[in-house]
Order: sequence, then C-alpha cells, then structure tokens
Amino acid sequence: MCFGPFPLHQTMASRKESAASGSSPLETPVKQIQIDGLVVLKIIKHYQEEGQGSEVVQGVLLGLVVEDSLEITNCFPFPQHTEDDVDFDEVQYQMEMMRSLRHVNIDHLHVGWYQSTHYGSFVSRALLDSQFSYQHAIEESVVLIYDPIKTAQGSLCLKAYRLTPKLMEICKEKDFSPEGLKKACIGFEIMFEEVPIVIKNSHLINVLLLDLQEKSTVADKHELLNLSSSNHLEKSLQLLMDRVDDMNQDIGKYNTYCRNLSKQQQQKQQYLQRRQQENTQRQSRGEPPLPEEDISKMFKPPQAPPRMDTLLIAGQVNNYCQNIKEFTSQNLGKLFMAEALQGHSS
Amino acid sequence: MSRFFATGSDSESEESSSADEITPKATGTTFNKPALLLSDDEEDTKRVVRSAKDKRFEELTNIIKTIRNAMKIRDMSKCLEEFEQLYRAFLKSKTIVDKEGVPQFYIRLLADLEDYLNQLWEDKEGKKKMNKNNAKALSTLRQKIRKYNKDFETEIASYKEVLNSSTNVISLCRCQDEESESDDDEDSEDWGSDSVDSGGESEDNEGAAASLAVVFLKKYKDGRRKRHKKIEQVEEEVDEDGEAEEGGWEKVKGGVPLVKEKPKMFAKGTEINSAVVIKKLTEILQARGKKGTDRAAQIELLHALSGISNENNLGQGILVKIKFNIIASLYDYNTNLAAFMKPEMWKKCLECIDELLDILFENNNIFIGENIAEDSENLAISDQPFRVRGCILTLVERMDEEFTKIMQNTDPHSQEYVDNLKDEGRVCGIIDRLLQYLESKGSTEEVCRIYLRRIMHTYYKFDYKAHRRSLGLQGETKSEQDQEESEGEDSAIIMDRLCKFIYAKDRTDRIRTCAILCHIYHHALHSRWYQARDLMLMSHLQDNIQHADPPVQILYNRTMVQLGICAFRQGMIKDAHNALLDIQSSGRAKELLGQGLLMRNMQERNAEQEKIEKRRQVPFHMHINLELLECVYLVSAMLLEIPYMAAHEFDARRRMISKQFHHQLRVGERQPLLGPPESMREHVVAASKAMKMGDWRTCHSFIINEKMNSKVWDLFPETQCVREMLVRKIQEESLRTYLFTYSSVYDSISMETLSEMFELELPTVHSIISKMIINEELMASLDQPTQTVVMHRTEPTSLQNMALQLAEKLGGLVENNERVFDLKQGVYGGYFNRGTRTRP
Repeated sequence: MCFGPFPLHQTMASRKESAASGSSPLETPVKQIQIDGLVVLKIIKHYQEEGQGSEVVQGVLLGLVVEDSLEITNCFPFPQHTEDDVDFDEVQYQMEMMRSLRHVNIDHLHVGWYQSTHYGSFVSRALLDSQFSYQHAIEESVVLIYDPIKTAQGSLCLKAYRLTPKLMEICKEKDFSPEGLKKACIGFEIMFEEVPIVIKNSHLINVLLLDLQEKSTVADKHELLNLSSSNHLEKSLQLLMDRVDDMNQDIGKYNTYCRNLSKQQQQKQQYLQRRQQENTQRQSRGEPPLPEEDISKMFKPPQAPPRMDTLLIAGQVNNYCQNIKEFTSQNLGKLFMAEALQGHSS
Repeated sequence: MSRFFATGSDSESEESSSADEITPKATGTTFNKPALLLSDDEEDTKRVVRSAKDKRFEELTNIIKTIRNAMKIRDMSKCLEEFEQLYRAFLKSKTIVDKEGVPQFYIRLLADLEDYLNQLWEDKEGKKKMNKNNAKALSTLRQKIRKYNKDFETEIASYKEVLNSSTNVISLCRCQDEESESDDDEDSEDWGSDSVDSGGESEDNEGAAASLAVVFLKKYKDGRRKRHKKIEQVEEEVDEDGEAEEGGWEKVKGGVPLVKEKPKMFAKGTEINSAVVIKKLTEILQARGKKGTDRAAQIELLHALSGISNENNLGQGILVKIKFNIIASLYDYNTNLAAFMKPEMWKKCLECIDELLDILFENNNIFIGENIAEDSENLAISDQPFRVRGCILTLVERMDEEFTKIMQNTDPHSQEYVDNLKDEGRVCGIIDRLLQYLESKGSTEEVCRIYLRRIMHTYYKFDYKAHRRSLGLQGETKSEQDQEESEGEDSAIIMDRLCKFIYAKDRTDRIRTCAILCHIYHHALHSRWYQARDLMLMSHLQDNIQHADPPVQILYNRTMVQLGICAFRQGMIKDAHNALLDIQSSGRAKELLGQGLLMRNMQERNAEQEKIEKRRQVPFHMHINLELLECVYLVSAMLLEIPYMAAHEFDARRRMISKQFHHQLRVGERQPLLGPPESMREHVVAASKAMKMGDWRTCHSFIINEKMNSKVWDLFPETQCVREMLVRKIQEESLRTYLFTYSSVYDSISMETLSEMFELELPTVHSIISKMIINEELMASLDQPTQTVVMHRTEPTSLQNMALQLAEKLGGLVENNERVFDLKQGVYGGYFNRGTRTRP
C-alpha cells in the first residue's frame, strides 16, 4: 500500500495564503460534503480498471469549500507505480495534472484524497499520517473511502472521514506514549469523524437519468438480494481475527511494560526509603546527609511502547465489527424475507 | 667393532687376498660392510645438519694433526702439550661423543701414540739424544696415555686386532690411507641403494655380501687410477692437509656403531642361544620410536630374528615374543594415527597374528598377558610354562581397527574395495580363533571385549541362510556348498549367546551398551520387531544416549533407523515414523549415521575436527541405504499425515506430524510445471496428492512401480510382503482420507460402495469406519440392516469454525486486558477509567 505525498506544499502554501487573505480561516469545520456524481463514477471506474483484489487505488480530490460544506467537483486518479520505476515524480505528476485541469477551467483546488478499501480495512498508520499531513496543510481536506465490495453487492459505499481535532493535536505533538494518549483522553471511537455525504448532480443529468430509467429494462440480477453470506463473512472474520491477534500482541507488550514499570517503581521507592532512613540515622549521629543523587538516572524508566498502533487496531476492529454487524443484519432481513416468500409460494 | 678398519684399505687388501676362500672371518667383515657404509652415508648427511658435532670433531682433528706432526719431528714437549689440549677438547665434546660413540680417529690416535711412545721408550739411543725437556715430556706423556687409554681399552684392542690381522697395514702408507678414505666416501655413495637393501639382512645376506665384495673390489681396482684425481675433489681441507703434511689419518670420519649393527655381529660365530636372541631383540626394540630408525628395516630385522630363532629351535616362548614385536612394529610403521596401514602391510600383520595364534593353540603352556612384567618373563626355559608379556587381544583389536581404517580409506566403488572386503572373512576367522582361545584362557573382561568384536562383525549382516531356512526352502535346491554353509550356527543364536554373556559379565558400561545396540540392530534386521523393541525399551538407552561418545551414538542412530525400517516392514507405520523422526527431521541423516560428512563451511569445523569425524565414519559395506531410509520415512509420514490433514482441515491449532514431509509437499507445490515424478521424493509427493483426493489407485501406482521397486522396495529381503502391506495401508488410509474429506457432501453412503471403491473387504471397511466413529473422528452412525453410514453433520462449517476461533482469540484478548487492568488498579489506574471520565 502506498500513500503518496499528496498534500503538495507548493500548492498548500498558495492555498494558505489565499485562505488567509480570503473570507474566513474556516471557523466552522466542514459539516457536509457534497460530491458530484462525476467524482463517484470516476472513483468507481478507477477501481474497476486498476484495483484488483486487495490492491488499493488512490487519487486526488478537487473542489472548494462553500460555507460549511465541502463541494468535491472533480478528481483524478493517482497512477499505480511499482518500486522499480524510481524516476516517477509524484509531485510533478500532481502539479501537471492540476495545471492541465485549470487550463480547461475545472476546479483545481486540492481538497483531499480518496482511497479504495478491501473489506473495510483502511484504518492504518499510513492513512493516519497521510490524512494528518493533509489536514495540517489544508484544513478542510477529507479522505473518501470507497468500498468496492459492498458496492458490488448492490449498495454504493462511499464514506468521508476527517481526523478529530483532538487527534490532530496529538499527531502534531507526536506524543504517542500511554501518558500522552491518556492525557488527551482519546479512544478509538473518537479518532475519526465521519462527515455526511450528499451526492449531487446537475439538473440536466438528473433529467437524463430519469429519461434513461424509463428506457432501461429491469436488471434480471439483483445483487442486493443475494442470500449467500458465508464467503463475505469468512473473509471479514479472517481479517478481524488477524487484527485481534495484533491487538493481543500489543497488549502483551504493554503488559510487560507495565509490569517492568511497576517493578522499577517499587525498587525506586525502596531505594528512597533506605536513603531516607540512612539520612535520619546520619542526622542523629550528627553527620552530614548523603549527597543527592540523580534518581532518574539510576532508574531509567523502560521504553514505553507506542500506543497509537493499538488505537488504530482498535479502530480497525471496530470498523470490521460495524461492517459485519451491518452485513449480518441485512442478511438476516433478507433471510426472513426469503422465508416469508417461500412460505407464501408454497 | 672398529669401523675404520672395516672400510679402510687394510680390509680392502685383506679381501683381495682372501676373497676366494670365504672364511668365517671374512664373511664377518664383509657382512658388516654394507651396514657400515650405510651408517657412513647417514653420517655424511648428518654432518650438514649437526654443526656442533662438526665443530667439535674438527677441533679434535686439528689437534690430532698437530700431535702427529710433533710425533714426526719427535717433539715430545709439543706432543704433551697438545695431548693435554686434546684431552680437554675431548671432554668438551663429551655430549656428542656420548651420542655418537667415540670417534674412530680419536681411538686411532690414542693407539698410535701409545705405540709410538713405547717405541721411543725402547729406543734407548734415541732417548739419549733427546734433550732434557723432551725426555721429561716423553715419560709424562707415556704415563698419561697409559692411564688414559685404559678407558678405551676395548676400542683400542679391536683396533689393534684388525691391525695385526692385516699385515699390509703396518706399513702405514699414508697416501693409500687417504685414498681409501676418499674412496670410502665415494663408494658409499655408489652403494647407497645396495646398502639400504642389504642393511637389514642378517642371515641370508652372505651371498649378497660376497657379491658386494666383488663389486667393491672391482671398483677398487678400476677406481685406483682415478683416485689421485678424486682426492682433489674431496674437501679442500683434506687436499691441503694431505699435500702439505701428508697426514691423511686425521680426516677419517669415525663411524658410530649403531645399535642395530651389533645384533648382526652376533651371527659371526657366536653361539646362538636364547639369551643372545633376547638381547638382540631388546637392542632392536631400543631403536624403536627413535628418530632415525628405519621402521621398515626394523620389521625386516625382526623377521630375520624370528627366522633365526626358528632355525635354532630356541623355543616357542621367544618366537611368541618376537611375533608380538613384529606385529607391534607393523602397527608402528605409520606414525600418524589418522593414516591407514597399507593393505599389504596389514595383510602381513594378519598372517603374523594367524601364526601367533597357531603357536598359541599348539602350545598350551604359554601364558601371555599385559601384566606380566618384562623381568618376570620366561621365554627360554621350556620345562616351565612360558610367560610372555603382550596382549594378543589388543593386537587383534588394533588389527580390526586398521581394517576399518583401510575400508574407510578405500574408494567404495572400486574393485580394490571388494578385494579388501574379502579379507573380512579372515578377520572374522582370527577373531573367532582368538575367541576360542580366550574362552579357555582369558579373563572375563577379555572375553567380553572379544565377544564385542565378534558381535561388531556380525550384527549388520543379514543371515540369508537362516532366512531361507525359516522360509522352509532348505534342502531342496541346495548345492553342497550351501549345505555346508548352513551347517553353522544361526547368527541370531550366536548374537544371543554372546550378548547375553556380555549383559551378565561386563562391567564397563560401554561394551554392554554397544552389545545391546548391536543386538537390537540384529533383531531389527531380521524383522524380530518385538524383541528389538522390547530390548530397546528395557535398556533405557533413549534416556541417556546423549552422554555416550560419538561412535556409540552413531551406533545408536543406526540401530534406531534399523528399528524404524523393521517396524515399517511389519506394517507398524506409526512406530516406524517415530523411530525415524529424530534422524530424518534433522536433515543430517548422513552425518548422524556416520555415512559421510556434510558440506559445511570451515568456520564450523576446522581440519582437525574433520579428521576426527572422518575417523568415525562407518565403512561403506555397513551403510544403511539413505534413500531407502528417507523413502520409508516419507511413506510412513504420508500414511499418517494425509488422513490427519483431512481430518483437521479447519483446525487452527493443527500440528504437523512431520515437518519434513510438509516441506516436501511445499517443494512439490512450488513447481511451476509438474511433470511426471522422477525421483523418489517426487513419487511420494505425487502419491500424497492422489491420496488427499482419496484416489488410492493413483497413489498406489506412484508408490509401487518399476522405478520405486528398483530404487527402494527391492532392497528389502521380503519385498513381496512389504509391497502387499503397503497396498493395504494405502487402501485403508485412502478410505479414511476420503471419508474425512467428503463426508460433508454425503448424507449417507453404503459400505458396499466404499468397499468396492477401495477394494477392501466389507468387514475391514466396517471396522475402519467403526474405529473412526469411536474415536469421534467421524460424526456418523452405522445403519446395520442397510449396511450404510449415515452422516450426522455435526461438524461445524468453516464459518462456524472461524467464529469459534475468533471467540477463542477474543477470550485470550480479554484475559490479557484484564491482566493489564489488574496492574492498573493499583498505583497507575485510570487509563481505562478514561471512558467514564470523558462521558459524563
């Protein structure tokens, strides 16, 4: 999986200037995202053409902020490139792309990026870092997550996420220690915030669609009504299990850390007590107290394992659970429906 | 014996005079010659190396030169002065003299000087003419030399003896002397090769010596002309001295009588009795292990000595003693322990031991033992029992070891190896004879040792005649030879007898361990699985074999492998697999069985270690076929693993039974293009794949076919039984695999169909399925009236399996989490309270 350095600093600088000189520096965060139908189709097409299996496709979103909503009016894909063509310059490519788009009078403002996902697995460190740098540079930017599998099952799945301000702060400070996270009171539930999406087409297109709807024959196959579930569930479970394993490992690490820490604390306490006793004895004997020693040097606290990954895993697990829950509830509904139908027909 | 005279012109002339009639005396001198020349030769080479000796001797010769000059001019005071100097110089070079013997020129001077002084003493007239100083010096010198010469009495006497016997010498023609000296040098070179050969001969070299004398004379005459020229080529010093002072005497290089010269001398007329022979023997033996000793010559000498003692009927005691020493020196021939004896040498040794055993069997009154001290030996007195120091058991053991070494160092695919291997019978013969001997005479420990040797030569051989007899084929199509062969005891009975003796009597743990292992091996080799297994279990060797030394461990490994193969032949697949698992899983079977070294980089073992490891190798004729071993292992692994894999397809905690088998499977899967199997492994992999599908026919055709027969199965003694067993096993295990794999698609299946599919009898199918049901491997029940298996479908689906796994994992997660929380509750609580705090 590769996450290109999407937020372009050059453009960002100019954007910041324009934002600063513009009306307001985004006092209200983006409340809603309005996506052009074109963008949706382009993303789907991109995945269809280039993404296979668990491969992930990415691209850049273009648009502009209107009041408290972000309008995404266009996008362009980011080419898959392998390790071996080193001379591929991503920044150059983006610049070129955006310049060309501007020439044909298309919105050329960078407002985020999109990414496809495999069974809802996208909560990762790479995504976090990427999105952080985006939001850091372009405050209103979002990441669109497109789930091709669910879409193939009949319901378009496109979600927009932003990092919460809290997480932004933590990322800014780069303090992922247990203490830091504790202080920030951050949990996996409040790492990302989902922004509602509205898909909006121009009236002309709506008219055309209505026109087409009447003309088109009804599709014979309704993916939506597919009753088989085990395949999807198995895959999800497998992924979920992997994450749980990771989680288990992390907890184990943290556990040992805690134990080491407490052991050391005890030692430290003992040492201090001994020291104090000795000092009181010395005082009673009229001797000068022992010189102060740097205790922190003597008892170096063990290296704390970074907790961010655990949080991310938890987020991912949560995500999987949501997915599975959703899927199973839908499936249950379908099964009941099918039963009812069967009962009716027989 | 004076060496100077032996080579000097005097003896030369003596020979010329008495060459025709070979008097005993002449024989003696001529006989001595080659050896002397040899030693001279030796000395010449030594001179280059030993500068200390050179220096000393040069000093001596220089002084002697001045003395002789003084003698010529009758300067007695000078003579005295120089003599004292000489005396001191001689003392200084005492260490060298001790090593080399008294130099000849020194003796010669002493003798001459004394003669000369006596002469002067008697010459009253001359004495009167002398001045006072000289006269005084003369008397002092005369007294001194008389006293001094007492120390060298024997040498001087022998010198004079030769002097007197040869009339020509007295003229003391210096020139000729000098010639003969240089001649000596020259000739010794010419005769170099002859002298080496004849150097060691004592008895039968009369003729050779005579011819040698002829050669010498001829040369002498021919060379006489050249000699004057030759003199010039001799060292400058000699040249100068010879011309300037006409004193060639000094330059004679004194020969040092070597130890081995002496024994030869005793042939000269002395009465050969046992004492003399023993003395000679000790003399020869003293040279043993010394640096300059020619070991080949020593062996020759000893042989000759045994011949002499035989001729002279000195009794068996001495003969035995000599034989012992011959064998010992044969072993000594190679100084390096790692090097192996030459087969010829070894064969000689074999003969010697054979003869020795002959003697021992013929003469009941010979006692041999290591603990008989040298001085309490009785070699000669024949009315008492002979007592000889020496251990024939050790010799035989060494001989056996050398045999192993020879086999190790011979290319196993050459004719030479076969030839060498033919001697194994003789080795066994000797061991057998020694065994008989020791059974009557030896101590228990010795008997144990020789029993072990016997066992070592028996355990790995398959007893074909017993096998045939057990098949009941005996007597019908037998040739006479076969009949004769089958007369002997069954090796099983022999093994049993010998091993049981060792179990009962042995007190060193090692011999017992080896005996047990060999016994097990032998049992296993002859398919007596239960005896072998019971013995292995009773011995508890598995627990403590890691403390044994590497050769025993190798034997243990061999035994385990043989046990495994035996179990396989008997159709006990699981046992076979367990026995072979340790050896095969390491991937170093070759090394563990001592059948070859693995290629490893030099960091892991240096040359020294490699040598040690090489010495541990098992000779080729005892090897266990590694391909057979691997095949047996893989096939047993297949028969175990494939049904297991089918049964536990969804089990997350499935364990591999055999890592190596899985490795082979993976290797097979990695192949991009799968052709028909070639190697044994490919066959097994292909068969496994077929078995996975429950296709026993394909599996069968992969396991048992022409290729596999020739590669593996034909190596078993009872090939047909093994093959039948294998087919049966393949059918059964395929049936099990089939049921495991496809039970989910059946609601019920008729046993009759199954029995047709797998060509098994109905009762067998019934029993297999019943077993599976009882073991809760198959969720089904048998419907007796219709003879069908009804599936219950209680096995969870894969999704359910996954869910179960997930639940398990989550349980672990929760547990871990709680552990963290337990820690937190104390001092550092609060992390998990975050939720409550943030959400009011």
